[in-house]
Amino acid sequence: MSHSHDHTHDHGHDGAHAPHPALVVEDEAGNLEGQIIIDALQNILVRKNLLAPEEVTQEIEKIESPGVHLGAKIVARAWVDPAFKERLLANGKSAAAELGIKVGEAQLIVVENTEALHNLICCTLCSCYPRSILGQPPSWYISKAYRARAVREPRAILGEFGLDLPNDIELIVHDSNADMRYLVLPQRPAGTEGMSEAQLAELVTRDCMIGVAKVAPPAQGAS
Amino acid sequence: MTMTRGYHDIGGDPAGPVPKTELPWLHWEKQVEAVRNLLGDGTRRIISLDEMRRGFESFGIEKYAKLSFYRRRVEAMIDILIEKGVITREELDAEIEAVRARWNNV
Amino acid sequence: MKARFQAGDRVRVLHLGKTGHIRTPFYVRGRTGTVTELCGYFLNPEELAVGNTAGPVVPLYRVSFPQTELWPDYQGPAHDALSIEIYDHWLAAG
Repeated sequence: MSHSHDHTHDHGHDGAHAPHPALVVEDEAGNLEGQIIIDALQNILVRKNLLAPEEVTQEIEKIESPGVHLGAKIVARAWVDPAFKERLLANGKSAAAELGIKVGEAQLIVVENTEALHNLICCTLCSCYPRSILGQPPSWYISKAYRARAVREPRAILGEFGLDLPNDIELIVHDSNADMRYLVLPQRPAGTEGMSEAQLAELVTRDCMIGVAKVAPPAQGAS
Repeated sequence: MTMTRGYHDIGGDPAGPVPKTELPWLHWEKQVEAVRNLLGDGTRRIISLDEMRRGFESFGIEKYAKLSFYRRRVEAMIDILIEKGVITREELDAEIEAVRARWNNV
Repeated sequence: MKARFQAGDRVRVLHLGKTGHIRTPFYVRGRTGTVTELCGYFLNPEELAVGNTAGPVVPLYRVSFPQTELWPDYQGPAHDALSIEIYDHWLAAG
């Protein structure tokens, strides 16, 4: 079983209780238990003809395939093509489709960082994240610490990630609580003039598209 | 005026620093997601995302505090499947023991 | 169900006192914000959670709240905002 604190407190309506454990991490025994449980569940469902093992294998491959590279491709295109950027900001799902990227969620809202505005994405209620583009969210995004604090202390959170945002820059936190999913369009860094789309995409990290980081300028000597 | 707040509804609560450890996405965790996706697809419609969420929002604060993210999801799925009469707790427990025995014999 | 609000409208989030699966977090209930867009029409997750898939669809809006009005201890400038999606039945004219 996983080892974690035993919280027997009530979740009071006034929120006055001990802080949540930041992230529950399974130890080896816990992971083995998880594997046993899902194998057992799958076995029963297969016997009941509700699932086929090959389907599960295929579905695993399908959910493994999206990743940061898809989001980076979208960002890089938006940086080089202003008309695409406008279409992206108007309808993220259909713009992504232009690049052959299928957004599986109801809609993708792309929020643009500018000189005057910075965006941060979270999901306080669970773990909503644009999985069909970026893949699985990082552990810290689904941690109780991030979910609890991102809406209330976003500038402190950014500071923990090494991003100190001056007060003259507006910060909007987006709580992905319903049917929309969000992607931050980070600012294109200086020193990237003349870079190809593929080179630009390599600069874009997952954390920049969640909003806890800015895109770093290319290393010295990059073409 | 009734105030209701689920134990999962933690926006604004106090918490410590954001843990930066990058955890790998393990096979069993992918399998949990895959099974949920398939059970919720257009041909089956057995567990929707909102039903699974209802599952972990109602299985109790003890489990919610103690279980890891993917473990919460599989436990929620199990509760909904039992609720709907798709599986029983007894057959699941029996199968878990059978699977465990095979692991131990490897 | 017709959308009752549009971008620019001031809205107040209701305390509906519902139990069950709810996607309106506690921290915005009773708060007043501004609609920034109508996202569209979606099946109500409160109903989907109990297997009611028949509808009707419900308008969903993005609503913006000044952070300094949500949190008494907010550390940051007055122009910081919180943007969140709220279903039509959770809102009244603010």
